[in-house]
Amino acid sequence: MELSDRDLALLDGAEGDAARQAMEALVQLGEAYDAPDMVEIGYAHVHAGMALYKGDVELIEATAAQGAKMVVPVSTNIANADMGDWQGTGAPEALGLLQKRAEAAHRAMGSATSFTCTPYWAGHWPTWNMHIASIESGVTVFANSVLGARSNRDGFFAVYAGMTGRYPRFGLHLDRNRQPTHRVTVTACPQGTAEFTALGYAIGAAVGSGVPLIRGLVPRPTLDDLDAMGVGMATSGGVAMFIVPGVTPPFGAEADALGLPEVEIREADIAQVFDGFCTGAEAGFDLVHLGCPHASFEEMKHYAALLTGKRVAEGVELWVTTSRAVRQMARDAGLLAPMLAAGARVVTDTCPISCHFACTCSPDPALKVTPPKLRTILVDSAKQAHYVRDMIQCPTLFTTSELAVESAVTGRFLPRRRRNG
Amino acid sequence: MGEASWQARGVVKGQAAGAALVSQTALSFLGDLDIRSGRVVGRSSDLLGESVAGRVLVLPASRGSAGAWRFLYQLKVHGTHPAALILREMPDPSVTQGAFLAEVPVLVAPEPAFWEALRSGEALQVDGTTGRITRG
Repeated sequence: MELSDRDLALLDGAEGDAARQAMEALVQLGEAYDAPDMVEIGYAHVHAGMALYKGDVELIEATAAQGAKMVVPVSTNIANADMGDWQGTGAPEALGLLQKRAEAAHRAMGSATSFTCTPYWAGHWPTWNMHIASIESGVTVFANSVLGARSNRDGFFAVYAGMTGRYPRFGLHLDRNRQPTHRVTVTACPQGTAEFTALGYAIGAAVGSGVPLIRGLVPRPTLDDLDAMGVGMATSGGVAMFIVPGVTPPFGAEADALGLPEVEIREADIAQVFDGFCTGAEAGFDLVHLGCPHASFEEMKHYAALLTGKRVAEGVELWVTTSRAVRQMARDAGLLAPMLAAGARVVTDTCPISCHFACTCSPDPALKVTPPKLRTILVDSAKQAHYVRDMIQCPTLFTTSELAVESAVTGRFLPRRRRNG
Repeated sequence: MGEASWQARGVVKGQAAGAALVSQTALSFLGDLDIRSGRVVGRSSDLLGESVAGRVLVLPASRGSAGAWRFLYQLKVHGTHPAALILREMPDPSVTQGAFLAEVPVLVAPEPAFWEALRSGEALQVDGTTGRITRG
């Protein structure tokens, strides 16, 4: 691997012990994937340190204790508790306090304490051709596809990229891997983010870890639509990038997809995603969840409008999950008041599948975490539905955002209605 | 028994030894494994019910979430991690990053003779630095 003078200096410990170890790890990663050299990183979205996994917050604390400092802008991924109000979600005190330790460690390293799966809605918006590292697959797909930045689906090493500003040149950092592998024709007419997560989920199931070039999306999808579609794909498949000719940055023209494997997504395919995640009883849900991935300001506006003048039914909880920054914007815009008046809870830093509801985590027994028994969770996202099934392991109901709110208000599930086509 | 040593590509450095645990199905480190016991719980895996702890885990491929690294590291924290990984193809970067953190050697694409000679349960020594796999 060809290393720059600064890379070599980092390996010699010129910028401290923590940076030296980070660089050693990145060089090993580069060698593993035959990277010719390192690229300059402009931004990293890193692991939060998760209190529901034994030793995981300590891993971040150990990095901070070595004196690690971030040398590029860094945001932090979703965490295991709302650090401002874990009591409100029923999380054990010890869990909330442990999660707060991760927040302190990130602060010491100079990272923004975002604790969100949608840092872009909170202002971390990398630009075209910028190399970045990201631990969150939804961020990876949004950055690669919508913003035209370059990111792999990383793990913990995003922290090392943040500490050094370097990352091995392989995978989606190379032009040759940013070409379409499938030609997807959408004949369905999805509307709203819930349907776009379902569309993405259907595409991801069909193309696996490919790069789909997607045709037929009329009208032009909004930023929220593109975000929803991307996280759907990253959930059912390993998609790290998609291309919508004329909409996303120019990494592949429509002509490039001629002769590639063809996929058609019809209304029936979207309906099947919704139906597949309707396993709960229509009157037996305890929790309605909106905001997966963490809601944008536009989605907060939409949720506030839907909830204005309404009241969540007795025996039902309604959670709206978002980032700290977007919650503040929503508060300033007067959007929180109608949500709270309707009985909704606005939760930051976490979400149902990321909090103590999950039963597939491995917390230190001393934290005394006991996942509550939930009958059914009603959601407006295919991503949340997928992980409720796998991580909370309770039945789900999946519908549009509008019908999810109506279900929460009436206490009876209102399924998405099929469209013609 | 023929050849007693094979060459692969060393991806994550380090030496390890253990009994081979051989699968014909791709494994997801997120979801297919119970962290505390190291047992395979994923129904799509042909290793369902087996424990990966201390074994040289031989897989055709890894699959699934970018969160794989965290689960591989959690196996290490709980002492239920495999001794080493041998895969037919390069894993997702997340798996590689988890193996680095967990200090689990990873070897990829062993020579064809390895697959013919391989028996589940037999003792293997692996060296992720040289890429060498040795019986015994």
